[in-house]
Amino acid sequence: MKLTTLLTSVAAVAAMAFAGVASASAESTLEIVKKRGHVRCQVGPASPGYYFLDSKGEWQGLDVANCHAVAAAIFGDISKLEIQSVSTQARFTSLANGDSDLLSRTATWTMSRDTQLGIDFLTPTFYDGQGFTVPKDSGIKTGMDLKGAKVCVTSGTTTESNLNDFSRTNNLNISAVTFEDFNVRDETYLQGGCDAVTGDKSSMAGNISAFPVPGDHLILPDTLSKEPLAPAVRHGDNQWADIVRWAQFAMINAEELGITSANVDDLKANSKNPSIRRMLGVEGDLHKGLGLEKDWAYNIIKQVGNYGENYDRYMGNGPQGIGIPREGSSNALWTKGGLMYSPPMR
Amino acid sequence: MATGVSGSEAVRVKPQEKFNFFQDERVRSVFFQILTVAIVGWLAWFLASNTAQNLDKRGLSFGFEFLDLVAPFDPDFKLISFTAGVDTYWRIFIIGILNTLYISFLAIIGMSFLGFSLGIMRLSNNWLISKVALAYVEIARNVPLLIQIIFWYSVIYAVLPRLKQSLDLSFGAELAFLNIRGLYVPWPVLGDLLWMTFLALAIAAIATYLFRRWVQKRQDLTGKSFPLLLPSAAILIIFPGLVFLLTGSPLSWDIPELKGFNFVGGASLPRAFIALLIALIFYHSAYLAEAVRAGILSVNKGQGEAAMAIGLRPNKVFSLVTIPQAMPAIVPPMISLWMNVVKNSSLATAIGYADLVAVYMQTSLNTAGHAIEIVGMTMGFYMITSLTISGLLNIYNKRVQLVER
Amino acid sequence: MAYVSTKSTPSRKPPLNESTPLGWVKVNMFSTLFSSVLSIFVLIAIFFTLKSLLTWGIFDGVWIADSRRECFSISIDGACWAGIIAWFDSIFYGLYPRDEIWRINLGGILLVIWMVPLWLPRVQGKVFIGFSAVALYPFLAGYLFSGGDKGIFVQVMISGAIVCIAALTINAAIGYFKNDNLANFIIQRLGKNDATEKQQRNILLGILAACVVAVFIWQLSWIEKSISWTRWGGLFLTFVIAGVGIASALPGGILLALGRRSKLKAVSILSIGFIEIFRSVPLITVLFMATTMFPLFMPEGIVLNKLVQVIIAVCLFNACYMAETVRAGLQAIPKGQFEGAHTIGLGYWGTMGLIIMPQALKHMIPNIVGTFIGLLKDTTLVSIIGLFDLLNILRTISRDKPWLGLHQETLVFGALIFFILCFAMSKYSRHLEEKLSTSHK
Repeated sequence: MKLTTLLTSVAAVAAMAFAGVASASAESTLEIVKKRGHVRCQVGPASPGYYFLDSKGEWQGLDVANCHAVAAAIFGDISKLEIQSVSTQARFTSLANGDSDLLSRTATWTMSRDTQLGIDFLTPTFYDGQGFTVPKDSGIKTGMDLKGAKVCVTSGTTTESNLNDFSRTNNLNISAVTFEDFNVRDETYLQGGCDAVTGDKSSMAGNISAFPVPGDHLILPDTLSKEPLAPAVRHGDNQWADIVRWAQFAMINAEELGITSANVDDLKANSKNPSIRRMLGVEGDLHKGLGLEKDWAYNIIKQVGNYGENYDRYMGNGPQGIGIPREGSSNALWTKGGLMYSPPMR
Repeated sequence: MATGVSGSEAVRVKPQEKFNFFQDERVRSVFFQILTVAIVGWLAWFLASNTAQNLDKRGLSFGFEFLDLVAPFDPDFKLISFTAGVDTYWRIFIIGILNTLYISFLAIIGMSFLGFSLGIMRLSNNWLISKVALAYVEIARNVPLLIQIIFWYSVIYAVLPRLKQSLDLSFGAELAFLNIRGLYVPWPVLGDLLWMTFLALAIAAIATYLFRRWVQKRQDLTGKSFPLLLPSAAILIIFPGLVFLLTGSPLSWDIPELKGFNFVGGASLPRAFIALLIALIFYHSAYLAEAVRAGILSVNKGQGEAAMAIGLRPNKVFSLVTIPQAMPAIVPPMISLWMNVVKNSSLATAIGYADLVAVYMQTSLNTAGHAIEIVGMTMGFYMITSLTISGLLNIYNKRVQLVER
Repeated sequence: MAYVSTKSTPSRKPPLNESTPLGWVKVNMFSTLFSSVLSIFVLIAIFFTLKSLLTWGIFDGVWIADSRRECFSISIDGACWAGIIAWFDSIFYGLYPRDEIWRINLGGILLVIWMVPLWLPRVQGKVFIGFSAVALYPFLAGYLFSGGDKGIFVQVMISGAIVCIAALTINAAIGYFKNDNLANFIIQRLGKNDATEKQQRNILLGILAACVVAVFIWQLSWIEKSISWTRWGGLFLTFVIAGVGIASALPGGILLALGRRSKLKAVSILSIGFIEIFRSVPLITVLFMATTMFPLFMPEGIVLNKLVQVIIAVCLFNACYMAETVRAGLQAIPKGQFEGAHTIGLGYWGTMGLIIMPQALKHMIPNIVGTFIGLLKDTTLVSIIGLFDLLNILRTISRDKPWLGLHQETLVFGALIFFILCFAMSKYSRHLEEKLSTSHK
């Protein structure tokens, strides 16, 4: 009996040692995060451009930059961050359960998700649209040529239901081949397992750049859907939502004002522009509303960069970029005809 | 003895007897059992109350009504029909079970054949053959099944031709095709009068059985043997064949044909199915080979030598003396391997074959929620299958024991 | 006399037998026509398989390149091992911060130091070495790997572990070189040979306590940077999961097996139920259960992270398999052993711990190691639920921009690592079985 008691108590103690005891929900997310000492942010299994591991074991990408920005805003240190990888299917429940503070994982902002899942979407990081990739030599010119085709798609996403809608609307009788994993989906397509891949055009562009002969593949002009990809937080904590939202706006605003990670120190010291001075915390009390330090936006720009820098690095033509042109797309700044627009910071 | 106990000893014994009440085995046993049940009961209550509380907090409910809801997706491999937008989660559950059983059944047949052959190869006199079998066994057993499945799926399959260059397995007759998307074979379309052929086949089978018994009896009585193979074959083929022709050949074939983007008609097996099947067979046959080898080695050497001494030829010794005696040692591990095949087929979820775990425990769980119900139902299916198989094993063990003693 | 030949008959030539290489080949590969045909066929098949494998993997393989494109430009058909080399650290340490990798290495070295005395001759107290490795090492390693603040309980265990490893190492050295043990050595040095046993014990306990207190005070200032479980990965994570599973499956399995054979009805029914439930379902369903249902089971406020959920699931699952292995071993012990133990007055735990288990475990070594191998292989399943174990890291390589699409090489590499580990384990178990075998053959 003694032995059993001992074992039980040891097991209990060990379990307590490992189990993080989360605090009661009365505390705000910001307080919890500050007490914990780092931000928890969820991304997905590696996908080029948005979130991927480099050979040093560090997460990088446009969506990861959101996570970095929040950590920089709160702690002034992008390394105060814990990144988890969640599967497509578990992402919303996992956020709602409190496994993380922020979901930055190419999730499409839809009404049902925003209103029914206990989560709130913030500003889109990337405006995307669903399309088809086909081999160039297949002779397919538009989506209407796909009658009776097999199309590879990842399961449990809006992509799958958009494909069904497209097929039904146009009477195409497309059969979907579903995959849990991007890797397997693309491999199957490359080996001829399906006639086309459907997915967000941006991510497909990234994937095509990885194919053995990128020039052999073509993205069709059809756009099946609007895909505003936005980060999400748990419903009900407005202060936390504000922090994440304005961390994003700060990056967009910085680009508009011409602040980059390279010149931010100089501008902070010498700029006469009141917008820049307010944003970087030289004058005014903008930070108080968020409950952050004065230099929260400065830290973001200094350590993460503005939106344009991140876009070039990961989505554009940087060494790790996947080469999606920004000019003339929805992802250009509003001053250049795109949709990237930040409310004024004053 | 009792009368001889002195006073002082009686005094010493008495408190010990009192103590014995707690030391008494029955008392202790009851006490411990109550304690165990209490602890387990408390644990169950604790978990259940937590769950109820958590469900309540998240605004979830417990119940099986969701099974009547329309499932918003369409499994890409199914043995029974499924209409997207009409059929329910319950049908998804059934489709998943059928898919799991279907691939398990085929894998069990394949791995049993291959495993027996490999086991015998392992004992071959030919050094080369036995070493090749050994290498096969070691590789298959020491590489995780999941890696093997992904390997077969993505690497080996890459050698198959594309759609337009499909491999014609019927050598130009354009009946069966193999390409990157899977295997396409003709599928029988049953005519109205086909049941008569089946009836004829059954009659022929019974006739063959009676014929064999007669031959056996005759051999036992007279020692003379009678040719068995040819007459049986004749009965089995000619009679049903005649009936088939007389009823007007009521059977046609639906042949796969390339139309547009795909083969239409016939029956097709998707690539994930084939990869999973190969991996399951490859992996489990190695374990079976070892069981078969151990079983054969467990048969006393003298048995074989004695059989040789009475003049049986080596292959007769093997099939009539060694194997029958090895079976009791082979069958139990073989049946538990069968169970492993059923369980391991759940790794299908990694490559997208629509087995029970993939369509029900993953996709349905994701779209419908209800984790407890869905996990419970899935596990329940595996438990029932497992109980059935171990029940079969028990029956077999009883029969073998009766024969032995 | 006339019947006896005066000349000795010339000795016959020895038959072509296995003593010459040629004879060996003939007997073992070309004894009959059928066998010869098979042999030739197999030889040809082996030749072509090996040739294409070697060409792909070695002769045409690319070892130095910066990206997969560069590999293609060097050799289009060869394997691109350069990707594996570039990702080497990640494959072994996952996402662990590169500056902190020494902690994993140190943890590994400590484990080796702890366990090596088990294999040295003349070292005493091997059972204690094994037990302490299971009971104390996990706390030391756990803190080393995860860092951060440590509770008072963990601090005590860490101090105990540090003292223990030091004592064990000295003990091993003394045992190996002087054929003695540490306790005797200290007593002799102190010149207390003549003291009573009780005094000696008190002296030793005093020294032990002093050491633990000293180490405890030292470790108060020892604080490592906290590293989240989300950064654990690669072969390291595979080893952590398998290690915890192995360390807990055997004790858990023994308890469950004893429970199953218990005369107490309630205990045995519960044990059977538990064992059979877990044995009849696939591991992947248990893992899904752990990740979807554990959060519901926990009382408000306690959140288990995914790694802990997975480890609990793996431990429960494997304990049940181990229970069946142990039960089979127990069944092989003749009844006389139980009766003999009872006769000399041993109770239940005494009988089991001193008489039955040592014999049963010895019989079971191959099966136990078989279960361990199964456990190691099963750790690959955690990649399905998103942990970055070896397999998942290998699959992630193909998502890194320079190495996009690198699938075959990574899978082959993973298969090779697992093959080496599992094959070594099974070979060692066979060796151990022969070494420990006391039966007369």
